[in-house]
Amino acid sequence: MRARLLTGTAAGALALGLLTSIAALPATAATGSTAKLSVLHGVPDLTVDVWVNGERTLDDFTPGTLAGPLDLPAGTYTVAITAADAADASSPAIGPVDLTLEGGGNYTAVAHLDGSGTPTATLFTNDTAPTAAGQGRLTVRHVAAAPAVDVLAGGQPVISNLTNPNEKSLDLPAGTVQATVVAAGTTEPAVLGPADVPVTEGALTVVYAWGSLEAGNLALATQTVTGLHSNPSGVQAGQVGLAADESSPVLPVALTMLVVAGVTGLAVAGRQVARRATVRR
Amino acid sequence: MNHLVPGGRPAPAGRPPGAATARRRVRSTCAAALAVVALLGACGTSEGTASAPAPSATAPAATPTASPPAAGPAVPDVPVQDAGLGSVPAAAPAPVRLVVPDLGLDMPIDAVGVAEDGTMEIPQDADRAGWYRFGPSPADPAGATVVAAHVDSWTTGIGPFSELREVSPGARVEVTTADGVVHAYTVREVAQVPKQDAPVEQWFDREGSPRLVLVTCGGAFDREVGHYADNVAVTADPVVDGAGG
Repeated sequence: MRARLLTGTAAGALALGLLTSIAALPATAATGSTAKLSVLHGVPDLTVDVWVNGERTLDDFTPGTLAGPLDLPAGTYTVAITAADAADASSPAIGPVDLTLEGGGNYTAVAHLDGSGTPTATLFTNDTAPTAAGQGRLTVRHVAAAPAVDVLAGGQPVISNLTNPNEKSLDLPAGTVQATVVAAGTTEPAVLGPADVPVTEGALTVVYAWGSLEAGNLALATQTVTGLHSNPSGVQAGQVGLAADESSPVLPVALTMLVVAGVTGLAVAGRQVARRATVRR
Repeated sequence: MNHLVPGGRPAPAGRPPGAATARRRVRSTCAAALAVVALLGACGTSEGTASAPAPSATAPAATPTASPPAAGPAVPDVPVQDAGLGSVPAAAPAPVRLVVPDLGLDMPIDAVGVAEDGTMEIPQDADRAGWYRFGPSPADPAGATVVAAHVDSWTTGIGPFSELREVSPGARVEVTTADGVVHAYTVREVAQVPKQDAPVEQWFDREGSPRLVLVTCGGAFDREVGHYADNVAVTADPVVDGAGG
C-alpha cells in the first residue's frame, strides 16, 4: 500500500520503457533514507485535494480524516491544498508550502485553522524515541481557532497554556486518560471533552484539538504511531531458592540458620540471665 | 460538493475497492504521468539527497512540476482513515489458561505488566502464570506471547513452572484465550541461560512468526540479591491446522 506515490508510478514508467527516468530510479531506491508523512485534515467544512510536487495525491480529502503514512524519500516536497477537484494546484486554498522531510523522520502535516480562523498548514515532527516498557507517549496539538488552552486529566492540569499551532508531549503509564480541554487558567467549562484518550503502550498517541471555538465546531482527532516500545529488562521469576540447581548450598544455609537461631537463643538467654542478675543486685 | 460538519464525521473515508485499481490502470497508460516520474525521480536523487534543500522562498503554485498532470488524474493509493477518537481497534483476547499435558501442568493466567524495577511483572502466587499484556497474544498475527511464572515464591513455595525444564521438544502446550479458543503449540526449544545473557528482545519480540515463550527461573540461587542466576525459557510454535491441533 505504501510508497506508491513514487514506486507505483515508477513501475508504470519502467514498463513503458521511459529511458530518461531509468537512470535516475535506482539511485532513488538506493538512498534507503525515507521519511514517513501523514496528513491530517483539520479545516472544518472544506473538502480538498492535496497536491504534492504538483501531483494530486489526495482526492476529496474530508475534514477529520487522516491520510498516510506514506514512505517518502527524504527531501523537500511542495504541498498545495486546493478545493476538491481543482484542475491543478495553481490556485491553492492553503500553501504552497515546502516541507523538508529528513531521512528516518516521522511527520504529520496538518491543514488547519490558525488562531484567528484562517486556513493554514503546519508540519509537526512526531516524537518516535523509544518509550519505557509499560509506557506510552501522549502528544497534544492545538490546531484550532481558539485561545490558549489547558488539558486536564482527572481534574488536574497536565498541559498548560498550549497555543495554536503548538504541541506538548508526556510519557505516561499505559491506560486511558480522561482528558478535558479548558481555556488556559480555568478548570471549567470544558471547551472539549471529557474524552477517553487511550495511552497505548509503546505507541505515540497524538490528539489534535481542531475546528473553531467561535463556529462551535471544535473537535478532537487522533493519530497513533506504533513501534516505540521497549522490552522489560528481564524476568525475575523466583524468590526463595527452593528450586535451585545446586543442592549443596541448601545444607550450609540450613546449618547457618540453625546456628544463627542457636546463637540468638543463647544470647537472649544470656541477656535474660544477666538482667535477672542485675535486677537482683 | 459534499460539505461535512466536523461533529458528524463520515464513516472511514476511502475509495470503492475498484477505484484505486482503475486509477492505477489509467495512470500506467497515461503519458502525462511519465513526465511526473521523471521529475519525481530527479527530486529523489539530486535534490532529495543533496544537503542543499529546495529554495526556501515561498514557491509559486505553478512550479515546474505543476504543469504535467493536466492530462489526467494520477492519484497514488494513500490509505485514509477517520481520525475520530474511539476508532481504536479492539485488542486480541487475552490468554487465561495454560496447559502442558506432559507435565500435568494446568495454570490460570493473569494479565501483567512491568514491575517497578523494569522487569516483567510476575504474579506473586507461583501457582498462577502472568501474560505480558503489552506484547502479542495468541490470536495476534505476529510476535511472541510471553507467559512467565515464579519457579517458587515466599507465599506458595515451589510452583508448577519448576517442571518447565523437564519438558521435551515436540511436547504439546495449550493456551486458552478469554474467548474460549484453545491455541495449541508444539515445544521447539527448551533453554537455560544466565540472566545477563537472556535474549529479552527475542522473548518479547512483537514481530516475526507467532509463537509462545514460557519463562521462569532456574540454576543457582543468589541469596544476597534474592534471585536465581538463570532463566529457563521454552519456545513453542503454533500447531498447524490438521496436524493434531
